[in-house]
Order: sequence, then structure tokens, then C-alpha cells
Amino acid sequence: MTAEIHATEIMAAAGARELRDNEVVVVGLGLPQVAAVLAKRTHAPGLTTLLEIGVMNMNPKDTPVGLADSRIFYHATTWSGFLDVMGMNLHRGIVDVGFLGALELDRFGNINTTLLKEKSQKVRYVNGSAGGNDVASLAKRVIVIMRHEKRKLPAAVAHLTSPGFVNGRSRSELGLRGGGTHRVITNMAILGFDPETHSAALLSVHPGVSVEEVVENTGFALRIPKQLPLTQLPSKEELRLLREEIDPKHIYLGS
Amino acid sequence: MANKTKTVAEIVRTIPDGSHIAMGGFAIARNAIVVVHELIRQQKTNLTLSQGVAGLDVDLLVGAGLVSHLIIGGGSLDRFGPNNCVNRARETGSVVSHDYTSLSICFRYLAGALGLSFMPIKSLLASEVLERLETGTAAEDLRRMKCPFTGEEYLLLRSLTPDVSFVHVQVADREGNCQINGPRWENEEQAKAAKRLIVITEELVPTEYIQRSPERTVIPAHRVEAVIHQPFGAHPTAVYGCYDYDADHLKLYVDHSRNPERFKEYIGTYVLGSGDHWEYLEKVGGLAYLEDLRAERLLGY
Repeated sequence: MTAEIHATEIMAAAGARELRDNEVVVVGLGLPQVAAVLAKRTHAPGLTTLLEIGVMNMNPKDTPVGLADSRIFYHATTWSGFLDVMGMNLHRGIVDVGFLGALELDRFGNINTTLLKEKSQKVRYVNGSAGGNDVASLAKRVIVIMRHEKRKLPAAVAHLTSPGFVNGRSRSELGLRGGGTHRVITNMAILGFDPETHSAALLSVHPGVSVEEVVENTGFALRIPKQLPLTQLPSKEELRLLREEIDPKHIYLGS
Repeated sequence: MANKTKTVAEIVRTIPDGSHIAMGGFAIARNAIVVVHELIRQQKTNLTLSQGVAGLDVDLLVGAGLVSHLIIGGGSLDRFGPNNCVNRARETGSVVSHDYTSLSICFRYLAGALGLSFMPIKSLLASEVLERLETGTAAEDLRRMKCPFTGEEYLLLRSLTPDVSFVHVQVADREGNCQINGPRWENEEQAKAAKRLIVITEELVPTEYIQRSPERTVIPAHRVEAVIHQPFGAHPTAVYGCYDYDADHLKLYVDHSRNPERFKEYIGTYVLGSGDHWEYLEKVGGLAYLEDLRAERLLGY
């Protein structure tokens, strides 16, 4: 095992630690899948993991390329569909955590997965919402895993696909049942949201990353506490699980 | 017992231009490619397509110019890439796209399947997804209402009742009893909302086989108009328990779909250049090649 720890491994471990044992989590594509599996194999064996396509408690043996990959159906405890997972669990209000990726995220935790605007104002479409908006609207708390780049963390998203605290308003004012964006885990830091202003705050930086670097790579003002902790690094066992069992081909963890 | 088996060409001939077709795929899983190719060969036009999470099926039909309207929750080809043809059509405005979410599309089908004219929902609110729908041609399909019992604000979605739904399944009998192996996304709601339902099956089985595990019958025969039997009918997408997605062919597809001219070459070679699905399967590599994609019994892929 190499001594060097990849940023994506820190992200996966940080994501896993946000999940508590016995919670119900809807998991999105990519690193969220990896983080949820890691949590389940470490401190949260009682975690219930749901995939929108209609899979519960998947236990993949081979790394899947996405949510429609049969590899992620392996050794599940339930196969159903959207109506069950997204309707009778998520819409019903029993999902504790929604775990999402984002193309862009702004200071109020609003997420864009629909389109990007180039400097010329030309619009480039991407995947759209799929279950993202539903999860962001309805899960008790939402955790986002994404790369930390200034253009991906703008003051306002180019398209508000999935709501956080729109215009700094509370979730009840917005008419939304779920609790909104709770954590943003990037390759540099972990962000949270101020309970009063609903705007983004820095919670920790990863070892080796300076606050200045984080500020430089963020497109909006961050509230920065005087005492800023370092993000906890993955343990030896977490690294072993990530590298040898969960993503041995480094499809999501990078090389 | 009625034998409802038909050829794909026979069925596609009965689909009028301008129809609303619901496709049963999800990204790179269980796409009714055999139907998609035949729709392209018969050059249908002005179609409306609906689907929860659009995949290769929708991307092919949009790229080939058959589609004027989309009603979808999102979509991609997973890590193989985006739906380039769909995205390009949005950018050029050649297709009017009503972009919803997975759950709202499912609820719209569910309303249709239950014979309800609308369904309330608590997502989409406070998003630009909703703003775009409400300020565009989709406005007619949306209302807001306070619950008469609790006063809570709801978004109301008009039901979706497609003219025809195509669902690809692993196993069906000649009468149309269908069993789906693996997750089913919005297959059941979509199929039961549609005015006509056509199933494509990898394997035709005797009804007695269905009767051994009737709890697995997701779509019962009396709802099904016709059964198309086509092994590897979803290639290059995956059919759980039957075969894996064809990663090499999906890469080749995405490589072509990035560019409209190259996409035309793809359609020319693989779709228009094949008289039917068997010829297509020969063209992509034939039996020996496909055998490598066949699912391992214990893994399902």
C-alpha cells in the first residue's frame, strides 16, 4: 500500500463518516456509491442503501460503471422500482440522507446537473435531474461529493436543478419537506451551511490544503471559523477496503 | 390461448407518425433496441418520446431525427458518456424537451395507470426545472394547489398516457405474461399507463413456466397487445441475467454520436445497413462475439 493518500480516498472516507449506523440513504452515481459501501463495511453495518432504479442493499462484487449496471444489482436484498424507492421511501419521508454528485453548486447549496453556460453564453446540456431533484427536495439531509474548482462552485448555479436553500430561504419557506444540503465534500475541504443565513461555511480542510487555496478555488464567500480543523484522513483499514475491495480498478478513486 | 407473437416490422407498421411512444429502458439497461432500429428503418416522424431516465434508445431515435418532443426525467449512458444526440437536439432547439425528474415521470405514469387525471408531488418545487416547465409549453401539464385537508402546497402533475409503450423483458409467454428479472424502474407504471403495450422478450416460455412463479409476473397477458421475440434484442445495452452491456460497442457508439456526420455513418452501417436485428447482430460480431457478453449464472451479468 502506498503512503500517498489520494484526494478521492479522503472524500470517500469523509462521505462514509457522514453516514450513521441504521440510517436510510439514497445513493447517486460515482463516489457516493463508494462512500456508502465503505460506511456499511466499517462503522455502519446497519445502513440501508437505496438506488433509485429500484435496488436495496446492493453488495457489488465488481465495480459498476453506473446505476444501470447489473454489477450494482448483485446480492441486493430488494429489487423493485422508482415507485418503491423514490415514492414509498423518499417521498414518504423516511430517507435520512441523499448522497449526490454535482456539476455546479452555489453558496446556498443549490445544485446544477442540467447544463453549463460557456463564456459566449452558449448552453451545453448534460444529464439533467434524473432522481437528483427528488432526492434534494425530500431527503432529511443531502450530502454532495464533488471536485473543488472555482467554476464548479459559482455564486449562483447556471441552472438550479436541485434546490438547497434557494435565495437563502429556509426549506419550509420554499415548501420543501427535506432538510436541504447539509455537507459538501470536495477534494480540498468539507463545507456546511449556516443554520441562520443558510450560506456556505468551511468546516475543515484536508491535510496539505491551505485555507487560501480553498478560498481561491471557491466562487463565493465562505464563512471561515477561527479554529479550523483538518479533515480526518482515511484509516489504514478504510484505505485497504477502498483499494482492494470496493474499487480495485480505480474507476472512481483515481490513480 | 391467444398467440400474440408478432414481428417487429409488423408492429412498427402500426405506429402512426406523431405518436407518443414510451420507451422502457434506463440508461444502458434493457433498451428495446430492436424496436428503435425498426422505427428508424421505417422512418417514422414527429414522435413524442417519454421515459424516466433516457438511454441509448432515446438517443438513437432523437439522433436519427424521428423525434419532435421529449418528456424525460434526465438520462445518460452512464460512464460511457452523455446522450450526445439528445443534448445536441436541445442545444439546437430541434426537439422540444420537457425535462422532469425520475419520480415526477413515474408519478405521471402512475396517475395514468390508475386512471387518475393528475398526481400531487412534493419535489420539483423551488427549482428551475419547474420554472422552465411552467413558463414553457409544459405549463398545461402542471398546476399548483393547496391540499384541501392540510393546506400544504403541492405541485399537480397531469397524467401521462402514452399511445404505445415498449418494454423489454427477460421472459414472456406467447400470450404476453411477462417476468422481469432485476430492478424494474418505472416499467410497470409506464406499461400500465399506455393505451397499447408491446413487449419484447429475450425468451419465449410456456405459460406453465410462468405459472411456477406467478408472483414474478409484472405485466399480465391481458394488458399486452403483442409479443416480439428477439434474443439480444437490447444489444448493446444490458439485460440482467441474460447478457452484459457491450462496452466496446457503446464506446464505438459514443465516439460516433459526438458528431452528427459520424452519427449518420453509425446509423447507415448498423441500422439502415441491416435488414433486421439478426443481420445487425451479425454485423456487431455474430454469435461467437455475443457469447462473450452472455451473463454468468451467479452474477447475472
